[in-house]
Amino acid sequence: MKKRLIIPIIGLLASASLPAETLDLEKDSLKFGFIKLTDCAPIVIAKEKGFFEDEGLQVEVIAQPNWKTLLDNVISGELDGAHMLSGQPIAATIGFGTKAHIVTAFTMDLNGNGITVSNSIWEQMQENDPRLDSPTPPHPISAEALKPIVEEKLDDGEKLQMGMVFPTSTHNYELRYWLAASGINPGMYTKSDIGGRTDAQVELSVTPPPMMPATLEAGNIQGYCVGEPWNQAAVEKGIGVPVTTNFDIWKNNPEKVFGVSKAWADENPQTYLAVTKALILAGQWLDETDASGKLVNREEAARILSRPDYVGADYDVIKNSMTGFFLFQKTDKREMPDFNVFYKYHCTYPWYSDGIWFLTQMRRWGQITEAKPKDWYLETAKEVYKPEIYLKAAQLLLDEDKIKKEDIPWDSDGFKAPTTEFIDGIEYNGKEPIKYLNSHKIGNKDSE
Amino acid sequence: MKILSSIKYPLLKAIDISGLTFLSPVVRLCYGEEPSVQLKKIGQWIIIPVAAMLLFIFAWNAGSGLIKTKAGTLPTPGETADALGSINTFADREDLKKEAYNLTGEERLAALAVAEAQLASITPKVQETTDAVAQAKSEHEKSIAVVVEPLEKNYDELKEKFSQAQDKRKQELESVSETLVIGDKASYTKFLDLVKANESQTDAEKTELSSLKAAISDARNDKSKKVALALSMQTKVAEEKQFLEKQIEQLTKRNRSIMVESAETNISTTTEELYQLTGADAYKKARSIAKDESRLEKTIESKYAQPATLWYQVRRSILCVFTGFIIGAGIAIPIGILCGLNSTFMAAMTPFIAIFKPVSPIVWLPIALIIVGGFIPDPENNAVIQWLWKAPLIDIYKINPAFIASAITVALCSLWATLANTALGVASIDKDHMNVARVLKLGFWSRLFKIVIPSALPLIFAGLRISLGVGWMVLIAAELLSSSEGIGKFVWDQFNNGASDSFAKMMVVVFVVGFVGLILDRIMIVFQRLVSFEGSKAAI
Repeated sequence: MKKRLIIPIIGLLASASLPAETLDLEKDSLKFGFIKLTDCAPIVIAKEKGFFEDEGLQVEVIAQPNWKTLLDNVISGELDGAHMLSGQPIAATIGFGTKAHIVTAFTMDLNGNGITVSNSIWEQMQENDPRLDSPTPPHPISAEALKPIVEEKLDDGEKLQMGMVFPTSTHNYELRYWLAASGINPGMYTKSDIGGRTDAQVELSVTPPPMMPATLEAGNIQGYCVGEPWNQAAVEKGIGVPVTTNFDIWKNNPEKVFGVSKAWADENPQTYLAVTKALILAGQWLDETDASGKLVNREEAARILSRPDYVGADYDVIKNSMTGFFLFQKTDKREMPDFNVFYKYHCTYPWYSDGIWFLTQMRRWGQITEAKPKDWYLETAKEVYKPEIYLKAAQLLLDEDKIKKEDIPWDSDGFKAPTTEFIDGIEYNGKEPIKYLNSHKIGNKDSE
Repeated sequence: MKILSSIKYPLLKAIDISGLTFLSPVVRLCYGEEPSVQLKKIGQWIIIPVAAMLLFIFAWNAGSGLIKTKAGTLPTPGETADALGSINTFADREDLKKEAYNLTGEERLAALAVAEAQLASITPKVQETTDAVAQAKSEHEKSIAVVVEPLEKNYDELKEKFSQAQDKRKQELESVSETLVIGDKASYTKFLDLVKANESQTDAEKTELSSLKAAISDARNDKSKKVALALSMQTKVAEEKQFLEKQIEQLTKRNRSIMVESAETNISTTTEELYQLTGADAYKKARSIAKDESRLEKTIESKYAQPATLWYQVRRSILCVFTGFIIGAGIAIPIGILCGLNSTFMAAMTPFIAIFKPVSPIVWLPIALIIVGGFIPDPENNAVIQWLWKAPLIDIYKINPAFIASAITVALCSLWATLANTALGVASIDKDHMNVARVLKLGFWSRLFKIVIPSALPLIFAGLRISLGVGWMVLIAAELLSSSEGIGKFVWDQFNNGASDSFAKMMVVVFVVGFVGLILDRIMIVFQRLVSFEGSKAAI
């Protein structure tokens, strides 16, 4: 009888004495920016589910019109931090585009993008590859079937136009990777050509994500690579067909990060820890599953995201990809449980190897105009990615018993294991950036 | 009765000055002045405009269904009214959440009871509406399938048939090609014609197939009103539930008073624990108490981070347009007076006016943003910005560099009308007035304030009125680009949302912008009439 009483009492005591060290917040009311995409979810959820408030933070979450303005607002101090493209902090730090030292201690998600082409291009692709002419064509779809269309256009003196969201966006690199894997040259950046169209067979241009479907419908572009819900919106409105997702281009690729300026991080170290803690918990909440592996909180998340001050698209459109489905055509709804990963696979950890991959792509396409030594890649990644802050925040959460020990890669050296899970099967090893660069047919190559 | 008749003329005068002249026949009619004339005027200035408005709404309602794109349809007046409702609901909910965060004591408990009762009544509806959506969707799918299945069957058959026919034709042509004899040009020409005919036949078959395919995809894209209705019901209920849950949270564990209370209890227990400790442990405990206390102070002062609602954005836009307007007037009036007084100065200014006047706000804004950014690189630590954030009345509008840049853009685009009118007003002052000034040997300043400005005032105000109208128009575009919180940002966000009710919400903004613009114009008319010589200042 006594024993049965003691256990709950010990439990109570343990939880009561747990509120670990209180953080000395330098700043308690913050403003974070985001772009209307479903992968802003960790920030929105941390606010709506009260993870920020639990840390003593009152956070305003403000939609930004495009990635450039978002970055400018973080640099100017108008925003304390923001949902950023993985390439943005890196490019800003090395000075491609606007120069400013931006750091990140938190990767927001994996995957989540798709490549959509217009209905007429899809029809032509089906003609070129009869296997695609089916309600449920076999995946992954490469750009092979697109190649004849590109060549035909080139013969007519035209170039196929495709949209991506920002020069240093994951989307730009993914679209280029997908095209180049099938031998289509998406164009090179050079010192004088900062539009990246030198030698291009397909011309890529920048369009803000929410504008993509309208621009496609207007016929200014014939295809685009963008995050959700803008591929599902194209299917819903019947203006285009998503041919592939970035999950097929590179399985579990890093997508967005939470970026802050170095100056802000130095000025507000404790606040930064508190923010990172809240974001980790939001990621965990988003990826919570029941015993059968079903994502239990995603419908609620989709409902929250569909509010007009967040993503604002219809719930029905957001729900698809958020609950692990992807609609390739009205007849082709596929289960893709890993379409959005917010916490699994140690994905929230800021991996150096992810940063290095983006650097190799910037070099591959000429955004970095000169050859760099091998060590430069890791040094630059270390300037931007701050796992030490992430681990500190995770340790605090572990002490408070809010996360599981196995969910955090405590002893990692910052490199993911080498992988060949790309659409063209080329191996990527973050420790060998130059070798990786040289293993591609199209793009810059450097001597080691 | 005497009082009534004594206010008749002041009343009419007030109506005249405020520019609401359409009301004066009503007033005159009430006093029984020439009823037939007044009724005719009422017919012309009240009934006809109202009828025109009704006609417009009718035409809008009838026409909106006809304009359909894949991105959506033009919203009807009814949908626009619904959108206004949902904008208001959003604003009300945010206010309630904010209130919930601040409530204490009895009031908190009362609000909690209300919210919990509402939640209990709405919860069963969630499942109902979800079921309704599923049912509507399956019905819609069935109705689509009825149309699509025969089409698809037809398509598959035709495709099979055409591909067989194409193969056959190809074989035939190949066999014909075997019979070609080198040197026999006629046979080659014939063969070429056959191949051409074959190609055009293949093309025709392709066109037929693709038109069939288009029909199939059109049928699949057919939108069902029932599904849309069920979805909107489901959204309404689910959003209400989500709001209530959040409100209850704000009333309980995330309520400020509750958080303060629990922090205080926590501090008092840890303080008790501290009394039992010595040495390093005591230091650690004391430190953590100190930290908890400073956190507690912050919690007491904390405010709920409320997202911007349309009405907040409208108020901020109005503040912004007046800021820009005042800056613009501050530049335009002195320069305009100098231009009017001195033709040499006017000649010097002409090229600037001519070049800068037609520049669009879209061009000014990035320049203004850079300049403002240069002066205020770090708003968090800028004394002026900090002062503005604490200043009474305007503190809630959080004036930031984007706001200032938008205001400057407004100023740069709107000052030209004031400048030109001021110059004209000053230049066209009656020569006699100036001669009198000369005779009286008035100094420059008294000439300026006693003669020049008073005589130019009506034209200056006419210019200011145009400037304010231009400024209001420009501001929306400036906000859209600078993402300064305001109506422009609301429009841009809605456009980006691309939800089923986004267009309707943008239609609401059309009327809000128009209405605010109308009021601003009326205000300027009042000022303009007040300073005109015809209007006596004692009228109001």
